[in-house]
Amino acid sequence: MTRSWVRWIPAMAVPVLIASAAVAVPLSANAAVSLPDKSPQQLLALVADAKVTALSGTIQQTSDLGLPQLPDTGAGAGSTASSLLELLSGSHTARVYMDGRTNLRMQILDKLAERDLIRSGSDLWLYDSSDKKVTHSVLPGDPAGARSTAPGVSLTPEELATQLIAAVDPSTKLTVGSDLRVAGRTAYELVLTPKATDSLLSSVSIAVDSATGLPLEVSLNARGQKSTAASIGFTSISLAKPDASLFAFTPPAGSTVTQQPISPRSDAKHTGPTQSPTAAPGDTTARPTVMGKGWSAVVAVPASPKISALLGSPLYSQLTSAVGGGRLLHTSLVNVLVTSDGRIFAGSVPAARLQAAAAAQQ
Amino acid sequence: MSPSEAIDGQGAVRSRPTIGLALLGSELSVLFRRRRTWAMLLALAAVPVLIAVAVRLSSSGPTPGRGPAFLDQITQNGLFVSAVGLIVSIPLFLPLTIGVVAGDTIAGEANVSTLRYLLVAPAGRVRLLVVKYLATAAFCLAATLAVTIAGALIGVALFPVAPVTLLSGDTIGVADSVIRSLLIAAYITVSLLGLSAIGVFISTMTDVPVGAMATTIVLSVVSQILDSLPQLDWLHPWLFSHYWLGFADLLRQPISWDSFGQNAVLQGGYFVVFAALAYGRFSTKDILS
Repeated sequence: MTRSWVRWIPAMAVPVLIASAAVAVPLSANAAVSLPDKSPQQLLALVADAKVTALSGTIQQTSDLGLPQLPDTGAGAGSTASSLLELLSGSHTARVYMDGRTNLRMQILDKLAERDLIRSGSDLWLYDSSDKKVTHSVLPGDPAGARSTAPGVSLTPEELATQLIAAVDPSTKLTVGSDLRVAGRTAYELVLTPKATDSLLSSVSIAVDSATGLPLEVSLNARGQKSTAASIGFTSISLAKPDASLFAFTPPAGSTVTQQPISPRSDAKHTGPTQSPTAAPGDTTARPTVMGKGWSAVVAVPASPKISALLGSPLYSQLTSAVGGGRLLHTSLVNVLVTSDGRIFAGSVPAARLQAAAAAQQ
Repeated sequence: MSPSEAIDGQGAVRSRPTIGLALLGSELSVLFRRRRTWAMLLALAAVPVLIAVAVRLSSSGPTPGRGPAFLDQITQNGLFVSAVGLIVSIPLFLPLTIGVVAGDTIAGEANVSTLRYLLVAPAGRVRLLVVKYLATAAFCLAATLAVTIAGALIGVALFPVAPVTLLSGDTIGVADSVIRSLLIAAYITVSLLGLSAIGVFISTMTDVPVGAMATTIVLSVVSQILDSLPQLDWLHPWLFSHYWLGFADLLRQPISWDSFGQNAVLQGGYFVVFAALAYGRFSTKDILS
């Protein structure tokens, strides 16, 4: 009988081995990092001096905003409203290739599909494999200017971090967190804490690569939520120069090409990493205005036909709840109030402040 | 216990190095001479053929964004028929046939009372398990290739052949696309190895092959249902069906090998766990039939 007991040993040992490997491998990847101490100002200088000109890597974006989750498949998938929602929940993976300030390729890896953004010099191409649509734009003016592909859209941790750091003012407390390891590289953690107590955002932490000063990860933490509310960061990165053929794009056979002119403007207010990267550039039906300053600023968007079309979808009434003066979309990071006359107020503030702003504007 | 166990040891392997190969050869020839095996391979090959004929006969081409991915590309490029056929087959047809083959391995022999004769011949229980598993793996490859090759042939016959547009919007030549098709076939074969190991293990538990087949197929469906529930996010990377549709990463430019590697590690994990379980069960089992 002892012999038959012995024969079950592999069956018992293997799961134990796999479980211990599953625990040990992430632990060894996060083994304690110890870097020479730096002050927040030194870190800001490190980021400002970052001289990374070429990279290729994989970016992961995750959101946990307390929104209801929908199944991946089913009738709801594919509609405009649910693809917006899809960007606000769950996680997305993208590959990014960059060479110099004017060559960029970003591939958002969807299930059995892909959305591509290719910038080569002043040419900007958007390609969506699911409907084979190509959008071509020519960027105006100085092509060596802004790194960003479309005004106001943050695509990479680096762009988002640069925008956040540029917005640092006396309303923000800067501290240095613990040293960490991101995408296999050692990094400092720069923590931005809003001094305003009415902001839904409790802190922003930026992982800054210790060797190059490149921001590797940005995480947004919401007040009263233990897990990270939203984050975007590299899961792998290489600083080698990517193949030049990656930036050469010719619309494939059978695709429909739309030419989209870009009007020179740069006042679009970004709302964080959850903004749709495929948002059409130069789409200015309604100019938003910003009320207030710092972390508790409120963005007001006037009513427009395009917005009211979106509000007709059943998902809208499902996601929002009725409040005084309109309907409210509540997430752990951002509140959005849609007034009954179609205006939109958004901000990282409690709903009452949005209602007050809406009442004040009338 | 039974005399066959004495032959299990290392000495037998060293003194008769060819017996494993001979057993594997006979097992493969039994498997691929079965009418049932050919019926299943033909049914799999019929999937892309049906799709291609249906698209060819319909007056208006498929609209982009409707139906399975790549369906709208078929009319411009016949090489996509294989891909559509695989996407349609992966959720049900492929696991179904694998379930039938893997579930039949041990239980089928036990059911027709040939298991004890197999073990009386100097085969050994471990070697029999290994051979049965390898035969199942060979069927996984044959099943995937049946869909791929039938799709390519019918696609070339009914539709024009052109350079292939990848998901990234880049275009590659026909020769390159053949290589990528074979890579996809390899990916899907690897994807099915975990399910095969589960099927072989279940097959050692029972003498009723139909029960083992049904259980294996049901498990593959359950795994896919769990994979579609976002509330179980933490569980998804551990489900053997999680990377089944990840072969799309081979259609990107440059190829993303991440999911190929993750899939291989996951399937390897399932193989090790269920091989150990099957060993524990089969080597301690009283063979009565």
